[in-house]
Amino acid sequence: MSFSLIQLSFVVFGYLFFLFAAAYIVEQGWIPKRWVHHPAVYVLSLGVYASAWAFYGSVSMADQYGYGFLAYYMGISGAFILSPILLKPILHITRTYQLSSLADLFAFRYRSRLAGVMVTLFTLAVALPLLTLQIAAVAESMYLLNADLPTTTLAFGFCITMVIFAILFGARHVSPREKHEGLVFALAFESLFKLIAITILGITALFFVFDGSGDMESWLATNQEQLISRHTNLQEGPWRTLLLVFFAAAVVAPHMFHVTFTENINPKALRPASWGLPLFLLLMSLSVPPILWAGVYLELEVPPEFYALGIGMALESELLVIMAFAGGLAAASGVIIVTTLATAAMFLNHIVLPSYKPGPKQDFYQWLLWVRRFLIGAILLGAYVFYRLIGADLEITLLGILAFVAAMQFLPGVLGVLYWPTANRWGLITGLSIGIIVWLYTLLLPLSQLTLGWDYSIPLPATDMDNWHIAAMGSFAVNLGLFVIVSLTTTQKDSEKTAAEACSVDTMSRPSRKPLIASNSNDVIVSLSKPLGRYVAEREVHQALADLNLPSYEDRPYALRRLRTRLEANLSGLMGPTVAHDIITRNLPFQANAELSEDIYQIEQRIEGFHDRLSGLAGELDNLRRYHRQTLERLPIGVCSLSDDGEVLMWNTAMEELTAITPGDVTGSRLTAAAEPWGSMLNDFLLDNATHQHKKRIEQQGRPHWYNLHKSIIKASGGQPGGIVILVEDQTETQMLEEELMHSERLASIGRLAAGVAHEIGNPITGIDCLAQSMRYETDNPEILEMADQIQEQTKRVTRIVQSLMNFSHSGHQTTEHLPVNITTCIDEAIGLLRLSSQGRDIEYVNDCDSQWQVVGDSQRLVQVFINLLGNARDASPDFSTIRITGSVDPYQATVHVVDQGSGIPEDKLDHIFDPFFTTKEVGKGTGLGLALVYSIIEEHYGHISIESPVPAHILEDQQQDTSLPSNESVGTCVTLRLPKVQDKLLEDKSE
Amino acid sequence: MYDYRVALLLVVGLYIFSPVIIDWWLAPNGAWYHPFAFWFLLIAVYIWVESKRGPDEF
Repeated sequence: MSFSLIQLSFVVFGYLFFLFAAAYIVEQGWIPKRWVHHPAVYVLSLGVYASAWAFYGSVSMADQYGYGFLAYYMGISGAFILSPILLKPILHITRTYQLSSLADLFAFRYRSRLAGVMVTLFTLAVALPLLTLQIAAVAESMYLLNADLPTTTLAFGFCITMVIFAILFGARHVSPREKHEGLVFALAFESLFKLIAITILGITALFFVFDGSGDMESWLATNQEQLISRHTNLQEGPWRTLLLVFFAAAVVAPHMFHVTFTENINPKALRPASWGLPLFLLLMSLSVPPILWAGVYLELEVPPEFYALGIGMALESELLVIMAFAGGLAAASGVIIVTTLATAAMFLNHIVLPSYKPGPKQDFYQWLLWVRRFLIGAILLGAYVFYRLIGADLEITLLGILAFVAAMQFLPGVLGVLYWPTANRWGLITGLSIGIIVWLYTLLLPLSQLTLGWDYSIPLPATDMDNWHIAAMGSFAVNLGLFVIVSLTTTQKDSEKTAAEACSVDTMSRPSRKPLIASNSNDVIVSLSKPLGRYVAEREVHQALADLNLPSYEDRPYALRRLRTRLEANLSGLMGPTVAHDIITRNLPFQANAELSEDIYQIEQRIEGFHDRLSGLAGELDNLRRYHRQTLERLPIGVCSLSDDGEVLMWNTAMEELTAITPGDVTGSRLTAAAEPWGSMLNDFLLDNATHQHKKRIEQQGRPHWYNLHKSIIKASGGQPGGIVILVEDQTETQMLEEELMHSERLASIGRLAAGVAHEIGNPITGIDCLAQSMRYETDNPEILEMADQIQEQTKRVTRIVQSLMNFSHSGHQTTEHLPVNITTCIDEAIGLLRLSSQGRDIEYVNDCDSQWQVVGDSQRLVQVFINLLGNARDASPDFSTIRITGSVDPYQATVHVVDQGSGIPEDKLDHIFDPFFTTKEVGKGTGLGLALVYSIIEEHYGHISIESPVPAHILEDQQQDTSLPSNESVGTCVTLRLPKVQDKLLEDKSE
Repeated sequence: MYDYRVALLLVVGLYIFSPVIIDWWLAPNGAWYHPFAFWFLLIAVYIWVESKRGPDEF
């Protein structure tokens, strides 16, 4: 059976275009995000592990090692079952610090540019055999179907095709930190496709080649000897080696690292992946034995690795052959794309960018994109060169072993990242270098000499397919041993210690609170503009602020420290941790002379993140910490904890309620940055020597509030940082009650006096009035009658005074309602009542208040206030003058000015104007109780009254905008009332 | 916090004894699909154990 080149090209391009279309529709958002982010998609995308090795190589492995071929599947399954202690911590590190490859991880953890460079270069030792394996598998399978062209030409054509598709899949975005959702979806589709393909092949072998499982079992029983003679029994050594090699592949193989960590969209998907991938691999491997035995049964003439194709050819089923070919193509293309992208990203971050960066004026993002495209092409062409030199003549399984054993050399470094904080870069570099050299000397060179017949003219160990595992384990053991010995005998840098703490599972980084030289986020942009250019710097700073949910402008020291860390992580995603660390260290330095102290707030936040992992004594201590934290948080007194340099570390719930400032807004900043009036008040108290301040009065929402302040200084001792704790007690209610009580007492004593005086005076006055009345009937003498009238007039006056006294004495006993009141209506009502009086008919009253203004109070009492104020104004005003009532509102209170054009009040009398019995009117015209009563009513309304004379200039100016008042008017009196405005909630309650 | 150390110890133990376990597992007496059935059973047990863990448990 043979296919034309056009047919095969149609299958290759058709499949790849279909795959690209799947990725494209995801990137265009045509598929719902919940599907794309579904854990099943992630699990299937991890199936990229099942490369051409799984499709072709496994059959060959099964032929050679029997069930030993399962090591390929079981090794990685073990790694995924251990994902909570192996993969999850790495995923956390890579996501937090935006690390996109193993080289990034090592360069970050070991703080070594050399480590990043070495891992990148040694990744080539993994990537080239791995890519070659895929290229060889596809080229040779094509050659089996069409022998017109040699495999090398077919391989070259396939390489060029894959360059185009790798760029389309992975180099259309600027930054690797933007996840390739389309690529992940395409990989998931590809895994599903190859699973279906291999399952159909298995079913065909089982039911169409054999007559079901029973028939195959009986064939196996009769051909046991033949099968055993075909394969060598898998010894302990190779089995253990294969298991370890494929276990390590979950983390250290570039394509697996890329899909598992870099392209992870949903971290929670790692959990279903821990059993989902083993299940997927179980299904993939289930068809391998039937395919192998069907191939043996049919006595196929093709090598065992291509039995999948051979079965279809033997059964003369074109559909089966094309499906097997497409399945192998799917398995190979996924690995090629992902491995190339991952390796290109490593080269960019660790080889290209540290050597050359474009100038600030060049479009940095575009430059990155083109370099990445170039690298993808170079790596794939490099793989083709490797294929031509070595790969074309090596077996697929041998290529796989070379790649995965080279990858295993990274395993000690990975374990050091997670579980050995004292491991250092010298240990890593030494172990890795020697491990790779041993791999080269004991595996690559002897196997290429053995297989290709090359002569290196140096003594090489006699490594072959029977003892390769000794060389593999030898290289790993040398690597691991040197890693441990050198790490133990050399010291870490401080920066390496910090990075080790950040990565280690068992320890936690302890961030310091060193302040930055840059004082705000704009300074950060300016500093970063030097290496990155203005556009990139602005974009990165705004992106980092958005990532942290911070506003676009920040000047809080804590926020700037977090911004610096985030910027380093984001730049690490863009250009690798080494370059990012250099840029940040050089351009965003800390203040040199700043004292080092730990950031307790951030440490606590991190401990909170570890809560679920703490068990035993640590867990109990953490529970105790949380209990104390909750105690402080829930205290009904405001608690504000400050570091020794005045940075806010804690701001409890009561503090938030008192100040209306959330902890998120103030934590990490200086006290002065808190909203007024709190910033000034607390900072003044902080600087004051007194440890207590009682009843500090501040205005909040237009009303006075009183607070008691206490502070305690925590002295630094035993390595623990010092600080200051401020307690804030709300005394407003107590103060209001005290003032009310004092006022009531004062009014009550005056009232009792007034009532007594009124009572004592009332009786004789009534007698005098009666006597004067009698006099009128006793005489016709006009002089005496006139005298009697005078006496009666005077007694009426005394009676009015007595009545006023009685009113005042009773005023304190009235209950004031607190309901929404329209202030304009009250003023109009008072004006209407005053107009009924014969006095001051020539006075004009102008009410400029808005008819919508509502205050909280008692309408009758407020009318009483305005009658008093407007009456006083009228009495003081000349004829034909105007009394103007104006005002304004803010969110919390209404302000009303009653302005007359009268003679004004002398300055020395203003201080006593609200005292009972004090009046500026002529004797007999006023009792001196009106303003005292007004003051009392306004206080009961939680308002404020003040009198200014002459009228202040700004009020005159405001009024002259609306009226024709003469500008030289500088006398008159202005009474200003401030009353609590109705809040929306009160209005809603009222409407309900 | 010490859970992972126990798990690592278990892994090393399983790795050392894996050839013995595998020999028993791949014993040629049973049907050809027995190793896969046993593997599937292990996955099923793992899923059951997983389902007992809290959503945020380490």
